[in-house]
Amino acid sequence: MMDNKRSWQGGGSKGPPAKRPSGSGGMDDDLVAQSFEADADVADEDIDLHIEEEMEIDLGEAGRNWERPAAPAINPQKDPLVFQQLEVDYFVGAPNRSVHRTDLLEVPIIRMYGVTAAGNSVCAFVHGFEPYFHVEAPSDFGPDDCDSLCDHLNRRLKERNLKARQSKFCVAVVMEQKQTIMHYQAAKSKAFLRIVLATPNLVAQARGMMETGIKIDSLNRTMGFVTYESNVLFVLRFMIDCQVVGGNWVEFPVNCYKSLAPHDGNKMTHCQIEVHVNYKSLISHPAEGEWAKVAPFRILSVDIECAGRKGCFPDAEKDPVIQIASTITNQGEPAPVVKNVMTLNTCASIVGAEVMSFQTEHELLKRWRDLVVETDPDIIIGYNIQNFDLPYLIKRAETLQVADFPFWGRIKKSKLRMRDAQFSSKAYGTHDYKEITIDGRIQFDLMVAIQRDHKLSSYSLNAVSAHFLNEQKEDVHHSIITDLQNGNAETRRRLAVYCLKDAVLPQRLVDKLMYMYNYLEMARVTGVPMSYLLTRGQSIKVFSQILRKAREKNLLVPNIKVQGGGGDGVGYEGATVLDAKQGYYREPVATLDFASLYPSIMMAHNLCYSTLLPASRLREVPPEDVLRSPSGDTFVRAHHAKGILPEILEELLGARKRAKADLKAATDPFLKAVLDGRQLALKVSANSVYGFTGATIGKMPCLEISSSTTAYGREMIMHTRELVQKTYCRANGYEADCEVIYGDTDSVMVNFKVADVARAMELGKEAADLVSKTFVKPIKLEFEKVYYPYLLISKKRYAGLLWTSPEKHDKMDTKGIETVRRDNCLLVKNVVTTSLEKMLIERDLAGAIEFVKNTISDLLMNRMDLSLLVITKGLTQEAENYATNAAHVELAKKMRKRDAATAPNVGDRVPYVIIKAAKGAKAYEKAEDPIYALEHNLPIDCQHYLDHHLSQPLLRIFDPIMKNAKELLSGAHTRSITVSTPSLASGGIMKFAKVRLSCLGCKATLPPGETSLCKHCQTKEAEIYQKMLTNVNELEASFSALWTQCQRCQGSLHLDVLCTSRDCPIFYRRKKVQKDLGEANAVIARFADW
Amino acid sequence: MFEARLVQGGLLKKVLDSIKDLVTDANFDCSPNGFSLQAMDSSHVSLVALLLRSDGFDHYRADRPISMGMNLNNMAKMLKCAGNDDIITMKAEDAGDTVTFMFESPNQERISDFELKLMDIDSEQLGIPDTDYAATVKMPASEFQRICKDLASIGDTVLISVTKDGVKFSTTGDIGSANITCRQNTSVDKPEEQTTIELNEPVCLSFALRYLNSFAKATPLSHTVTLSMSKELPVVVEYRIGDLGHIRFYLAPKIEDEEMEDEA
Repeated sequence: MMDNKRSWQGGGSKGPPAKRPSGSGGMDDDLVAQSFEADADVADEDIDLHIEEEMEIDLGEAGRNWERPAAPAINPQKDPLVFQQLEVDYFVGAPNRSVHRTDLLEVPIIRMYGVTAAGNSVCAFVHGFEPYFHVEAPSDFGPDDCDSLCDHLNRRLKERNLKARQSKFCVAVVMEQKQTIMHYQAAKSKAFLRIVLATPNLVAQARGMMETGIKIDSLNRTMGFVTYESNVLFVLRFMIDCQVVGGNWVEFPVNCYKSLAPHDGNKMTHCQIEVHVNYKSLISHPAEGEWAKVAPFRILSVDIECAGRKGCFPDAEKDPVIQIASTITNQGEPAPVVKNVMTLNTCASIVGAEVMSFQTEHELLKRWRDLVVETDPDIIIGYNIQNFDLPYLIKRAETLQVADFPFWGRIKKSKLRMRDAQFSSKAYGTHDYKEITIDGRIQFDLMVAIQRDHKLSSYSLNAVSAHFLNEQKEDVHHSIITDLQNGNAETRRRLAVYCLKDAVLPQRLVDKLMYMYNYLEMARVTGVPMSYLLTRGQSIKVFSQILRKAREKNLLVPNIKVQGGGGDGVGYEGATVLDAKQGYYREPVATLDFASLYPSIMMAHNLCYSTLLPASRLREVPPEDVLRSPSGDTFVRAHHAKGILPEILEELLGARKRAKADLKAATDPFLKAVLDGRQLALKVSANSVYGFTGATIGKMPCLEISSSTTAYGREMIMHTRELVQKTYCRANGYEADCEVIYGDTDSVMVNFKVADVARAMELGKEAADLVSKTFVKPIKLEFEKVYYPYLLISKKRYAGLLWTSPEKHDKMDTKGIETVRRDNCLLVKNVVTTSLEKMLIERDLAGAIEFVKNTISDLLMNRMDLSLLVITKGLTQEAENYATNAAHVELAKKMRKRDAATAPNVGDRVPYVIIKAAKGAKAYEKAEDPIYALEHNLPIDCQHYLDHHLSQPLLRIFDPIMKNAKELLSGAHTRSITVSTPSLASGGIMKFAKVRLSCLGCKATLPPGETSLCKHCQTKEAEIYQKMLTNVNELEASFSALWTQCQRCQGSLHLDVLCTSRDCPIFYRRKKVQKDLGEANAVIARFADW
Repeated sequence: MFEARLVQGGLLKKVLDSIKDLVTDANFDCSPNGFSLQAMDSSHVSLVALLLRSDGFDHYRADRPISMGMNLNNMAKMLKCAGNDDIITMKAEDAGDTVTFMFESPNQERISDFELKLMDIDSEQLGIPDTDYAATVKMPASEFQRICKDLASIGDTVLISVTKDGVKFSTTGDIGSANITCRQNTSVDKPEEQTTIELNEPVCLSFALRYLNSFAKATPLSHTVTLSMSKELPVVVEYRIGDLGHIRFYLAPKIEDEEMEDEA
């Protein structure tokens, strides 16, 4: 073990510790500090001292299997180095002159982190790549003027960077023959200037100078320039020019790289293999064939527990970290190789996991840091780690002054950096987050990913795992955690089990949802590093593809100034929606879909930046080569000049077709996962190209393209409707006049008015082919499915039974109906889904009506499971800041008054139920915490649920089918109700009222002395008693079933159930049954003599 | 079989008008003793107790006690159809699911009957035990109604303090405060205009005006209202309905928020 420690520690520790930049030091300071000749290994020395102490702790077997497989000795003269790179970053430092000849004092150095096929970690320092951008050369600019411009820029940049330790700022100005991507250009190329700079931060400065105007001495005039590709991130620039895409395999050939021995004191990283290489010798393998494989990279999943004070959310400056659970999984292996939990204070052992106990937080934190460094993960995952776990650890270490804690990145002397950042994207909204830089390790916060990709009613880990893994997990409220921690080794073990589960679940979710494959493939397809996918929006992905394609074509992308304000002012007409002919269709309805509508329009009509012909330049191209789109914009036809976007799209869709074909042929489950992720990534990328051109605040908006695309789409939908209706009619010998009943963006629904599904399919296919023939390739109308029967409520709202083969229906398909909306209570969803199922699948309208009536009756009789009535809404800001009184906000305030510890905070989703309140009370005053309502037996306002939640959705679906749908809401079934009596603790008059016994048979008031039945019901005593007893027995059975279920979920059948998960339906049922059982027992007790 | 005939049918209409805003659904208990109702309002802050004694009816028959669940709004809709001078008869079978209201005009020219579908309401019967109250104030019902109405325009809560000299109603609101004191006056000739106070010890309690105003809807039933109060007990607002019975409203006193918290 001693040796292991030494191996990652590396470097010597000589000389007195020098002062390091303080924690708040800017990013650049830190980067600069890591030059090759960096001062003595200060941080290392600190680490050294503390590790000596730790060695004395006896950890038994723990830690033995932490390390990666040993790295083979590398011989650059004999072996090429091949690895899959996962993350790329850069820093500015002194050049390594053995691989990069330069006289600059400081240069940018790219670092590529990755894993070899054998599972060894690699960090490659790539030297020699220089930042640059282009401008268009003035017509009279000659090669001789280059030096003059270069000198001038140098002078100007020097003025701005007086403190910089640099010999030269503008390295060179070179003339090159290129062409712009914007608008159709008849000439193949013209002169551009490539301006090469010393370091990436100078690009923005030089761009500013070029744009605002610069004096060119040799021409003796001042002029401003449009810059090209000046807003490309340096790392992306490097990847594009070296044809490296996110997560692909790269190779350094024999004799082209320099390797450092594993124990070399000059090693700067914790990676097993560290090499230096010039960017020119890098070979990048496209992610195809053999190179589609995935290296066994290591994933660390982490979860922490903190002991909060009563009434407050844990605060890193006050509350200790008490447990940290970690699992290490090698990608592709089914189970984690390391399952570890570190606890503060003793903890009983857990089967299948290492438990390490520490006396102080200091030791705990440092040992965990060692765990990260020793296990050397490539990716760190967890649930909400980005906003809670990781910032908490860092802040806590700062508070405790564990100075050597934040060094678990891969760069030895580089401290973790944390700053507040804001993410803003049209697609994902705006939110604040903590940006943490852990050099060389990708962070993947599963919560962020799931929030992006899935619409759920709750994003607690609990709800998410229930949804995807079909597994409830125990939810220990953070106010109980402190009690467990203060107990004994057994209670802490319980907490540790819980903590460990929270670390295991994210890993299982990642596996289940194929996140690693999907994101890896997305990175490979779009060419951006994996870490961009979560931290950046959509547009960078398309931008990366355009840049790559443009480079291939020798084109340059101009840096278009974003128009301030943007957005609404310059909108364009969107997609068209044909009016829905509302009704319940008992005939099969065929759906004709355009396959990848927008991408295929762009391909068919050659819509692109590079084919757009401004109206003023129409004369430059022969009229037969010009295409005028329905929106009035003109584009050059494909045979004259092919566009970039159509080409990108063709490649994407072609690649998707290949991936799908391979997927069909593949048998290996890993390969299948990769291919499926790939085809999905390709589809999403193809569809986002259109959005990119329409994003007015994006990098390259071009509304001519997007508005032409939608205009074509509209025209095609109309055309399809006309053609289908004209062709399929009695006059042409068909069974009936068909009718287009609805159409939306890329689909048309046709009722051929035939009774048979098979015939409708036949006609559908025929019609699709017929219509497709009238369109330019590759636009294709496809017959996809038949809905039979079909309930069309309004536009974007329908339900139907979906058939893709005439033998059997596939499933029920609904859109815009309350089966999916998440701001509703579960009751609405259940009622709507079940009645649709009865109506559409079983064709049992009477049954559906019966079901709805029974449900309403149950609701009014208070027999409804409370979990079905819970509504959740997100608390997006402090309650005080809301302008209006929303129910969940009022409730949050109320709960904070009761107990601040359990009250919801900003960002939480607040569950509530509507309870009865005084007449005329506002809806927002009637919201109550479901658990509070349950415990105090507060009566649920059933009528409110009926009037405000159920009535609208039910009327919508039943109106087209039955004559008097209102009858559903006010029939005989609504005349049986239960008014529950609140418990004493709920206050009000209940504190004073006494319950008077009434007859259990007929409800008449009992005379004093009688406890069970009135004298008229005495004759039926046996029967009534029997009924009550059966009730008790049923409740007892269901309570024990629920209790056992909860015990199983918490993993022990001997302990009390602590869980108070508000997302778990079992929890509410357990609570309600428990209460009902108590009441039923009380009733039984009234039969004195039985 | 249940049957009850009331010559002053108007009384029943007024009774219903006074409680239908407080309670939506309730069970009426028809026992040999009389026709009664106990129900909490939907926010369970107040409780209504109605009693119409059997001997107050012109004809009353209840073979066995039965409980009739009714939606009070629907019942009120039917009673609206009765004239103020009409004679009202209620009829129900022991195990039936409807109740019949028969309205006869005074001169017997017009007889109408309305049948209301009964509801099956599963709820517990509640009552407030009788106690000796520390203070009992009897005052003109219209005066009480006016005080509640006036104060409600200023504040939400009224503080009622009873001393041997009189009863003081006070409130504070955003715009200011108000105090109304009614002195004991037994000298007035007309007993219905008297304000009398029976006092064992002084009492001072606060109540939500919103509910008192609801209770005051019973004013047409009686000339006088009786307020009975004890420390930390609900106030009883009672209106006598001639010889027929009474309607009592119980309202829990307002307790400071902190105390509520502690008990919860």
